Amino acid sequence: MLCFTLLAAGCSTKQVVVEGNFPKPLLDPLPITLGVIYPSAFAEHEFFDEAKGRAESDWLVKTGEAQVEFWDILFDGMFDEVVHIRDWETVQRRAAEIDGVLIPAIGDLQYTVPTHTNVKIYEIWMRYEFRLVDIAAIHQQEDGALSFNLDERLAAWPITAYGKTPTAFLQTDEEAVNLAAVVALRDAGAHFVTSFGGTPDVAIWLDGIARREQDAARSSNDQVGDPQPVVDSAEASTAEGEPDSGEAL
Amino acid sequence: MSGQRIDRQTTRIAGLILLAVLLGGCVNATVDEMTYNEPVAGIGESSVVILGRRHKPDYDTEFDFIECIGDHIHSGDPSIEVINEIAFINQFYPWFEPRTAPLQPQTIDRLLQLPPVAARFDEMKLEYMIWIDGNTENTESTGSMSCGIGPGVAGCFGFGTWGTESEYEATIWDFTDKVEVGRVSAQTSGQNYMPAVVVPIPIIAPVQGTACDSLGDQLLEYLSAFH
Repeated sequence: MLCFTLLAAGCSTKQVVVEGNFPKPLLDPLPITLGVIYPSAFAEHEFFDEAKGRAESDWLVKTGEAQVEFWDILFDGMFDEVVHIRDWETVQRRAAEIDGVLIPAIGDLQYTVPTHTNVKIYEIWMRYEFRLVDIAAIHQQEDGALSFNLDERLAAWPITAYGKTPTAFLQTDEEAVNLAAVVALRDAGAHFVTSFGGTPDVAIWLDGIARREQDAARSSNDQVGDPQPVVDSAEASTAEGEPDSGEAL
Repeated sequence: MSGQRIDRQTTRIAGLILLAVLLGGCVNATVDEMTYNEPVAGIGESSVVILGRRHKPDYDTEFDFIECIGDHIHSGDPSIEVINEIAFINQFYPWFEPRTAPLQPQTIDRLLQLPPVAARFDEMKLEYMIWIDGNTENTESTGSMSCGIGPGVAGCFGFGTWGTESEYEATIWDFTDKVEVGRVSAQTSGQNYMPAVVVPIPIIAPVQGTACDSLGDQLLEYLSAFH
């Protein structure tokens, strides 16, 4: 019976649903109305790793809920207004006020536990792919799902994040992996905040918004005629032709 | 013949236990200090924050060690307000994460260009920021122990020993002038023993606690007008 229990313990799946308390960022929010789409692969993200040997366990790390909670807090603190785009109706209703739509995705997640490396540290490494698109690039598919054309993006950039936690007395493997994941999420936020304005395509987009706001302010001060409709580069590029392929969200 | 061998082994284990009890708790500590611009009248109503360095790949300065030093300073001079490390890091997120934390006092000026960060520092009346870098590690271990379990009986027999070493350095930043005003370091080491005759009895050397007391005493001496 004891042998069976020991064998079973060696083969069991360790499951972690990442949980943490995430702080609001200390920032002056950017004067931007940002649309955010969390694709289902992101909002329900989980990572499964099968045991390589009898001494190891399978690992299932569910980060989706924590991802959404964390990035919601970060975006709310970083931008004047955040609009969650979940359906086509929101796209149509809020299109005029949304400056851009951010779509995060998790490109890769890797982890190590002391049984893998013999180093007494639990680590999680993540690579995100952030894509910024104009609201005009969001389309509705026949089944009602939203999609966007990859060619129509305003910016795309990767963000890497790393979290580690040392082994600690009375801390289970699951608690340590959870803590490493929380540290990695916080690191992702720090990386995002510090690199956002410095990403070349994002900087061009931010300049464009600032210029449009200046023009709008100037024209309202001059009170010359009616305000002109805003046309930006993304709309100009979509005018070249209808997208022939899209990425489902 | 077999009885004599068991007697000899028991005597040897008893001798090791006696040695362990005599040596247990013995910790060697070395403290170095180099400080200047000491606040001779204390820090008044200003506050101090103690933060751990966590940007190195192979170790993190332990949160509980930082808490231990903060408690040591506050208990030595209750007039010194020590801001809780985790609360501070959360209040200033994301500016004191391992990736973004300032490594030089001069870089604080860059942080203060952010109006919400500057406003929060003003609210805190922060006078000193103390960075602690280092950790505690177990070193070489020797000995052997075997445990057995049978119907109605279980126990261990043997002897194990391992070392523990702590190495920490505190860097004091004067937050008003944005300059480094001192460094204090503490190195401690000790030997732990685990004799086992039926029940293993760990005799743990308080290596990290001694490092905390040593570093805490030096920092208290620097910050407090009463020490």
